[in-house]
Amino acid sequence: MPTLLEVRDLTIEFRTKAGIVHAVEGASFNVERGEAMGLAGESGCGKTTTALALMRLLPYNGRIVRGSISFEGRDLVPVPEDSMRAIRWKEMSIVFQGAMNSLNPVQRVGRQIAEPIMLHEEAEPEASFKRAGDLLELVGISRNRLNDYPHEFSGGMRQRVMIAMALACNPKLVIADEPVTALDVMIQAQILDLLERLRRELHLAMILISHDLSVLADTCEQVTIMYAGKTMESGKTMDLFTDPKHPYTQGLVGAFPDIRGPRNMPEAIPGDVPSLISPPSGCVFHPRCKFAFDRCTKAEPALTELSVGRRAACFLYPQVTEVPPRPIAITEV
Amino acid sequence: MRKGLLRELAGGKPLWVRAVDGVDLDIRRGEVFCLVGESGCGKTSTGKAILKLVEATDGDILLEMPEGEARAYEDVRQRPDDPEARKTLDGLRRKYSVTWKESLPWTVEQALKSAGAFLAAVFLAIVAPSLLLAAVVEPFGDPWSTIGLCVSIGLILGLIGSLPPTRLSRRTRVILTLLALGSIIVAPISALSLHRALVGDVSRFDVGAALATPWTQELAAMLVGFAFGAIAAGGSSSLLLDWRSRSEGMAGIHMRSIRRRLQLIFQDPYESLNPKQSVYEIVSEPLAVNRISTNPGETSALVREALTDVGLRPPEEFLFRFPHELSGGQRQRVSIAAALVLQPDFIVADEPVSMLDVSIRTEILQVMMELRTRRGITYLFITHDLSLAWVLADRIAVMYLGKIVEMGTTEQVIGHPMHPYTKALISVVPSPDPRHKVERIILKGERPDPSDIPPGCRFHPRCPFAFERCGWTAEEVADQLRSLKAGGMLATASGVDLSDAGNVRLSMGGGGPDALVRELNALVSERRETLLPLKGIAAVHATNGFVELSLHASSEPPLLEIEPGNSVACHLVSPPATVSESLTA
Ligand SMILES: Nc1ncnc2c1ncn2[C@@H]1O[C@H](COP(=O)(O)OP(=O)(O)OP(=O)(O)O)[C@@H](O)[C@H]1O
Ligand code: SF4
Ligand SMILES: [Mg+2]
Repeated sequence: MPTLLEVRDLTIEFRTKAGIVHAVEGASFNVERGEAMGLAGESGCGKTTTALALMRLLPYNGRIVRGSISFEGRDLVPVPEDSMRAIRWKEMSIVFQGAMNSLNPVQRVGRQIAEPIMLHEEAEPEASFKRAGDLLELVGISRNRLNDYPHEFSGGMRQRVMIAMALACNPKLVIADEPVTALDVMIQAQILDLLERLRRELHLAMILISHDLSVLADTCEQVTIMYAGKTMESGKTMDLFTDPKHPYTQGLVGAFPDIRGPRNMPEAIPGDVPSLISPPSGCVFHPRCKFAFDRCTKAEPALTELSVGRRAACFLYPQVTEVPPRPIAITEV
Repeated sequence: MRKGLLRELAGGKPLWVRAVDGVDLDIRRGEVFCLVGESGCGKTSTGKAILKLVEATDGDILLEMPEGEARAYEDVRQRPDDPEARKTLDGLRRKYSVTWKESLPWTVEQALKSAGAFLAAVFLAIVAPSLLLAAVVEPFGDPWSTIGLCVSIGLILGLIGSLPPTRLSRRTRVILTLLALGSIIVAPISALSLHRALVGDVSRFDVGAALATPWTQELAAMLVGFAFGAIAAGGSSSLLLDWRSRSEGMAGIHMRSIRRRLQLIFQDPYESLNPKQSVYEIVSEPLAVNRISTNPGETSALVREALTDVGLRPPEEFLFRFPHELSGGQRQRVSIAAALVLQPDFIVADEPVSMLDVSIRTEILQVMMELRTRRGITYLFITHDLSLAWVLADRIAVMYLGKIVEMGTTEQVIGHPMHPYTKALISVVPSPDPRHKVERIILKGERPDPSDIPPGCRFHPRCPFAFERCGWTAEEVADQLRSLKAGGMLATASGVDLSDAGNVRLSMGGGGPDALVRELNALVSERRETLLPLKGIAAVHATNGFVELSLHASSEPPLLEIEPGNSVACHLVSPPATVSESLTA
């Protein structure tokens, strides 16, 4: 069986008045069946954009410039929109960032879950409502609450509803974009626990997006670290967190206080995230990197395999190669 | 929010905060005190109540209260029914509380008292000295004007002394008296010398000569003025202060100076800044509002200094930017600068970094901690992030439903948590090091309803360790039995409901009372460890046609000091004293 999801050199741009935003450049990662892959990085590094591209749901001004997204061996990039309907939600679904706050306030929750089922599966209303009830129970909410309105649900329960909706058509892969951000720590734990249980019981693959490394450390087998649209490092969670190779990963890991570690003040990563309209030359991280040397400003390090399952893009490692200069993209204005 | 109290002990001594339901948080000067808990547990209201952004319904925020009087306050608060204690309490509140308003109705007695005080003051200040002088001193020159001068100076000083933001303290009185004495000595001398100079030989006028002349009468006039001027000053100032504190409370008198010393940093850097104001306007506004600086040069210097302090360097580069031209971290720095510009010594920081990205977050925290070292600022840091509290706090208080459930040093609370809620919270905090795995205690349910606080221990419905006396109610037990019945158990009962007296009552099924009692007892002993509400059942008895349950008595666990500096409110954790008591009992 082919790998469930294989993303190669995925590059996404947004066209804006101020110029072209190079939101994602050369993203490459794999997700195996039943596995959880974590996608981490600071705000604006392109996590959501990557997720939307996987679902082929980029906003009108965004486009995939190059790269491939192969899902069960089939490249989704050239798939026309109407064939995408057979894949979106049914094979692969997403819990949007912050969506728990955008449930329709004047429609009963049951209806909001059942409607997409009717739409996507062309199911009868009665069967759809029954399925909505089953889904609610699957995520730990009594089916008696199908007739409630969203405001009668707490934040954690609304997030459960969003998860239930993502599961409606039995997908193989669920993307959860910041599913626990802005939730209290106990509710975070409940939601993460639920996701882990669902993953086990339904043999789901998952892409968990979070800016909080701690959340991923606990729940994912693989982690990919992004910075300014580029993939800096990826590998097994245990290896990546205990022995980060890339200076950015090192900075990121050191920036989180550890309640089970020593009481050290975390270290800051000095400087700001660069503009994605005119990103720095060479390694995008070089203006903030304390190890940067001459080569870093001139050439761009390619994401290179350092050991089995472990890849990083940093010239500190001699085996890391340079990204060949790309032909200048001709974009119509 | 039931009670709130902030107490600051002067000069390097602890700053105490009592907040929410009669529990003390004592914050020492220069320390970082973290208040942690789930959202809606009352953390933010506590912070706001301290800054008087919301009114606490009851309780005090007491400032600069000396240790001894703080103890007296504690002591008399325990005895609200004792009229003597009430009086002491009111006295202490009048002196230190910024929230307390004396609510004295204008009774006849009250009116008479005030009128009497006023008449006495007038008599003491004007009539008495005049009479005395007339009797003792032979009228000369114009002593009346001298005395009148002394007395008016006293009265004016008294008036000035009672104006805001002066606080009523021993210091105020001493300063006033000294001032009065000074002017009283100077005034008659100059008056008399002037008199002499005008009446006598103009060319001979000089102060030395005036002082050298024998002047018994003048001396007498001076002494009288001396004594009564001071009395007039003290009397009129306390009368005025008394009247003002009655009508506006100390709050009205102090708040301006307090606002300046206590500052708040908000959670959301995107909402707390006015998008139409430039950085300069945002940071200088508090200076204008508090009338600290109206001089543009000085204001600009203060603003620059505050911006430099928070790391917005060089300040010129940021002064005229608007919030949308700043990054999230820079915006949060601007709100810190706006708090710092008033040079506060106490900052309430309500989730100051929760909206920020991790790298910026660390920078902001470092700025805050550096300011603590440099300026000795004390922080009350409100956060739901326990790993942040772990690295920042000197001491921590954990709140649950408006009540402190555990408090102690960071090592005590996070290193060795004792309250089940603290234990659970800490167990679910994720760690960035995947090697640090612990067994998670995931509590059921979310955000409890603060308007419906469970009896007994308010945490008992979610507590995995709750036992007999934690506060199980008849409804909770009945619900548990009903769900057992729905699950096919309790076949010998036909229904579970509550009796008129509020007890759990099971109506008999086919088997008769003995069978039901037996089944219940068996069920309870078998399932009580997993179905905790069953632990609330103390006894099962058959009464005319029903089986009734009696429940264990319960009480709310008080916050007790278990170890030096570490207090816990949980029945499971008994302080050594209680244990030995119960052993001897
Ligand atoms: N519709 C759009 N038009 C123009 N630029 C966009 C658009 N959507 C996103 N961007 C830009 O693309 C970059 C990546 O955005 P993205 O939302 O993927 O970040 P993210 O990693 O998900 O961040 P966060 O953690 O804040 O959610 C950002 O610089 C953002 O400003
Ligand atoms: S390539 Fe150079 S600048 Fe980039 S992370 Fe490595 S050392 Fe730093
Ligand atoms: Mg995002």
